[in-house]
Amino acid sequence: MAHEAPGMMHGTLDALILRTLVGGARHGYAIARWLEEATDEMLTIEEGSLYPALYRMERKGWIEAEWGTSELNRRAKLYRLTSKGRKQLAAETEHWARFAAAVSKVLLPA
Amino acid sequence: MADSHYGRPRRPARRREIADEVSDELEFHIEMRTREYIARGMNPADARDRALARFGDLAYVRKTCREIGRRKDDDMRRREYFGELRQDIGFALRQLVANPGFSLVAIVTLALGIGATTAIFSAVNAVVFRPLPIADPARLVFVNEAWRGQPSDVSAGNFVDMMAAQTAFERAAAIQYASFNVSDGDNPERVIGARVTHGFFDLFGVAPSIGRVFRPDEDQPGSEFVVILSHRLWTRRFAADKSIVGRDVRIGGRPYRAVGVMPAEFDLTSDAEELWVPMAFTPERKAMHDEHYLTVPARLRDGVTREQAEEQLKTIATTLRERFPRDNAELAFRVLPFTETFVGEDRNRLLVMLGAVGLVLLIACGNIANLLLARGATRSRELAIRAALGAGRGRIVRQLLTESLVLAMVAGAVGLALAWWTTGTLVALAPPGVPRLDQTSIDTTVLAFALGLSVLSSLVFGLAPALRSARAGVSDTLKEGGRGQAGSGGRDWLRSVLIATEVALAVLLLVGAGLLIRSAIELTRVRPGFNPAGVLTARMTLPAAEYRDSTRAVAAFERLAEEIERIPGVTATALASQVPMGPGGNGNGLIPDGKPFDLKYAVNARLRIVSPGIFKTLEIPILRGREFDARDRRGAQKVMIVSQTLAGALFPGQDALGRRVACCEPGPDGKPDYKMIVGIAGDMRGRALAAPPPPDFYLPIAQVPAEAWDWNQRTMYIVTRATSGDAMAPLPHLRSVVAAIDPDVPLFNVRTMEERMTESVAGARFNTLLLSLLGAIGLALSAIGIYGVIAYFVTQRTSEIGVRVALGATRSDVIRLVLRQAAAPIALGLAAGLLASLAATRALASQLVGVERSDPITLASVISVLAVTASLAAFIPARRAAGVDPTRALHTT
Repeated sequence: MAHEAPGMMHGTLDALILRTLVGGARHGYAIARWLEEATDEMLTIEEGSLYPALYRMERKGWIEAEWGTSELNRRAKLYRLTSKGRKQLAAETEHWARFAAAVSKVLLPA
Repeated sequence: MADSHYGRPRRPARRREIADEVSDELEFHIEMRTREYIARGMNPADARDRALARFGDLAYVRKTCREIGRRKDDDMRRREYFGELRQDIGFALRQLVANPGFSLVAIVTLALGIGATTAIFSAVNAVVFRPLPIADPARLVFVNEAWRGQPSDVSAGNFVDMMAAQTAFERAAAIQYASFNVSDGDNPERVIGARVTHGFFDLFGVAPSIGRVFRPDEDQPGSEFVVILSHRLWTRRFAADKSIVGRDVRIGGRPYRAVGVMPAEFDLTSDAEELWVPMAFTPERKAMHDEHYLTVPARLRDGVTREQAEEQLKTIATTLRERFPRDNAELAFRVLPFTETFVGEDRNRLLVMLGAVGLVLLIACGNIANLLLARGATRSRELAIRAALGAGRGRIVRQLLTESLVLAMVAGAVGLALAWWTTGTLVALAPPGVPRLDQTSIDTTVLAFALGLSVLSSLVFGLAPALRSARAGVSDTLKEGGRGQAGSGGRDWLRSVLIATEVALAVLLLVGAGLLIRSAIELTRVRPGFNPAGVLTARMTLPAAEYRDSTRAVAAFERLAEEIERIPGVTATALASQVPMGPGGNGNGLIPDGKPFDLKYAVNARLRIVSPGIFKTLEIPILRGREFDARDRRGAQKVMIVSQTLAGALFPGQDALGRRVACCEPGPDGKPDYKMIVGIAGDMRGRALAAPPPPDFYLPIAQVPAEAWDWNQRTMYIVTRATSGDAMAPLPHLRSVVAAIDPDVPLFNVRTMEERMTESVAGARFNTLLLSLLGAIGLALSAIGIYGVIAYFVTQRTSEIGVRVALGATRSDVIRLVLRQAAAPIALGLAAGLLASLAATRALASQLVGVERSDPITLASVISVLAVTASLAAFIPARRAAGVDPTRALHTT
C-alpha cells in the first residue's frame, strides 16, 4: 500500500500496533505516540497508514473498537486486542525473530 | 440483503454513521497532535498546520477508512443475519415438532393441495393445453361438409373442386383412414393407417426422422405404391431398422416402397394411424360428389381468419350445389379449429377436472389461513413475552415468516412426492385412448404455481397475527392473559367466512362427484338392448386387390357365414358390418314411402349389413315381423329390418311393418329403390352405453348394393355366442375358418362384447374416480378446517368455559355453546354451495346419464354427508371443552 511506511516490511506495522495494545485499550493517537516513544522516534510511523491498518485489523477481528472517553474527557475510539489478535501478534513476533536472526547472521557475523 | 426491516438502522443512516465516526476519530488525532505542538510552545495556528502536514493525505485516509469500515459493517450484518436465520429455522423446526397436531394437519393440507393439484393439472395440461407437435397449430383447421347441421366427411369430388376454387388456405390435404394388411412372410397384421394426399405432412410442418415425405407425383394413380411408417410401427414391426427406408413392405398383398419414417411425437394419439400411403384420386373418383369419406385438414393462409375461410367456402358450396344438384343438394362447408376437434369431449372433462382441482386448492389455502390465524392468536402471549424481553418487532415478524416458510417448504416437499406418485398412478389408471396422456409428466409451471400459492397463503396468514401482536401493546396482551378476546370480533368474522367458503366449495365438489357416481350407477342399470354375455367379436377385411369385384366379396362372406356356423361350441354365429361399441360403420339417409323422393325428407340412420343369424347371436329382440332368412336373396323382394326408434322416426304414429323405404342405392331408371320393412327390432345402445340408442337399420348381406362394400372397405365383424360362458373359446376355430378362406387375411380388433362395453364406459369411470377423489380430499380438508377453527375457539374460551362450568353449566350446555359457534357458518356454506352447484353442474351435463343436474338424492346425500362430517369436526373440540376442569381452567391462563 502506497501509504505504508517506506522501508517497513509488510506486516511489520500490524505487528507493532498489536504490540502497542498489549498494555490495554488505546486510541489511535496514543498508539502513534507510544510507537514514537518506544522506538525513540527512530521509526516514525506514517500516520496516514496507521488508521487504515487499524480499520483493516478491526475487520479481520484482531482488534475491536469501542467509543470511550479519553484522558482529557474527550470522546475517543479505543482499540483493544482480541484473542485472535494476540495469536496473530505471537505469530508475527516469532516470524520477525526468525527473520531478524537470519539477517543478523549475514550482516553481523560473530 | 433486505435487512432494513430487522430493527437496526437503515443502511444509508448506518453509512453516514460510519463516515461520521471516521471523521471524528481522525479529527481527534489531529487535535491531540495540535495540543502536543502547542504544549511544545508553537502558536495554535502553526501547530494545527504542522499536525495536518504530519498526518499526510487526510482526505485519502478518511476515504480508505470509511471504505474498510463499511465493509466490516456488511460482514458483521451478514454474519448476524445468517446466525439469526439458523436460529429461526431451528426454532421453526422445533415448533413443528413441538406441535405435532398442528404440523401434521398443516402439512397434510398443503401437501394434498399441492400434490393433487399438480398431478391432475399436469394431466390436463398434457392433453388440453400443451401445444401439439405441429408448427403454428392456431392456423390449422378441419374442413367438414355439413348436411342439415350434421357434420359429415368430404367427398373426393367436392375436395378437388373446393381446392381448385379456394384461396383461403395455404395448403390442405385429404385423409382417408383405413386399415391395411401388412404381411411379411407368415405374420400378417392388421394396421390402422391412412391414405393421404401428398401435402399432408407439409401441412403439419413435421419432418420425417428418416427418409422423406411424399412427392407431388406420388399421389397420382399408378405411382402410389410408396409408404411412410409411423415411429410406433417402425419400432414394433421393423425393430427400428433404419435400412427399411428404400426397401419394400408388403401391404394388402402388394409391395410398397418405404420412403420415410415419422418421428415419435407425430403419433398424436395412442390409437392413431401407423402408416401412410398416398391417396391417388382416379378421374372417376374426382367426379364423385356423393361419397363422403375424406377428412380434410387445412392450413389457413397467413392473416385469413376461420370466419373468412368459412365465408369463402359458402360461395364455393353454392357453386357446387348448382353444378351437382343431385349429389350436393344441401351442401355446406364448415371450418373447425384443429385443436378443438382433436381433443373434443376430453377437453370438457378435463376442464371440469381443472375446476375441481382449483376448488381443492382453494380449500387447502383457506385451511392454512385458518390454522395460521388461529395459531398466531394462541401464540400472542408468547410473542408478547418475547417482545417484552427485547426482541424487536422486525425480529419477531421475521421469525414468524421463517416458520411459515419452513412449514410451506416441508409441505411442498411432501406435496411434490405426492404429485410424482399420483401422476404415475393417474397415467396407469387412465383408460386407453386419451390423447397424449402418456406424455404426462409433472408440469413444473403448475408445481411452481401450486407451491407458490401455498407459500403465499401461509406467508400472508402467518404474518397477519405477527403484525397484530407486534402492534398490540405488550402490556395489553399480557394483561389480557393472552386470550386476545378484546377486539377479536373482526377475526372471528374472517374465520367464519373462511369456514363458510370452504364448506360451500366442498359442496360444489361433492355435488359434482355425486352426480357422476349416480351416473355410473345408472349406467350399470342401463339395458343395452342385447345380451353381451358369451359374445365374441372380431373384424376381418378382404383385401381390395383380390376382392374389388363385389360379387367375389359377397361370395367370400357368404361362404364365411356358412363356415362359422359349423364351429363347435357356439349357439349362434353371424357376420355384421357393425357391432355395438365397435369401430367402423356407415350411416345412410332413408326416405319413407309416401314422401317425395327428396333428401329433405331423409331420416339418417346407421346401416348394419348382417347375416341372418345376427339377431339370435346378439339376442336382439324382434318386436314385430320376422328376422332375415334364406328367402332374402339377391333378386328377391328387397327387405330391411328397422329399430324401434327408426320405425317411429320414419312413420310417426303409424305402423312401419310392411311399409317401404328408399335408401342406399338408385333403383332402376333412376327411380327410388324401395325396400320393404319385414321386421322391427328392439333398440340397441350401439354408440356407447351412456348414449341414447341411435336409429338403426339392417340389410341382409345378400341384398347389399355393390357400392356398400367400398363404403366399409369389405370389412365385417364375425360375431359368435359361445355355448359355455367363455366368450373367447371359439377364437381358435374362427382363425382357422378365416385362414381356410384366405390365409393372408388376419382377424383384428378381437374383443368380447363385454370388453367393448367396459371400454365404452372406461373414460367416464376414470372421470368419476378422479372427481370422487377430489371430492373426498375437499371433504377431508374442510373437515380439518372446521375442526381447527372450533378447536381454536375452545382454546381461546377455556377460562370463560371454566367460569360457566363453575357457575353450574352442564356438559351439554358447554357442547351446545361450542357447536353454536360452528353452526352458522356451516349452514351458510351449505346453502351457498347448493346454489352455486346448481349453476356449476351445467359443465357436467354432457357427462350425466339418467340423472338430473338437480338430482334430489345426490343433493340430499351431499348435504347430509357434509353436515355430519362438519358436525363431527366441531364436536371433537366441543367435547374437549365440556371436559374442562374449572379450577385448572381459571388457574392456567
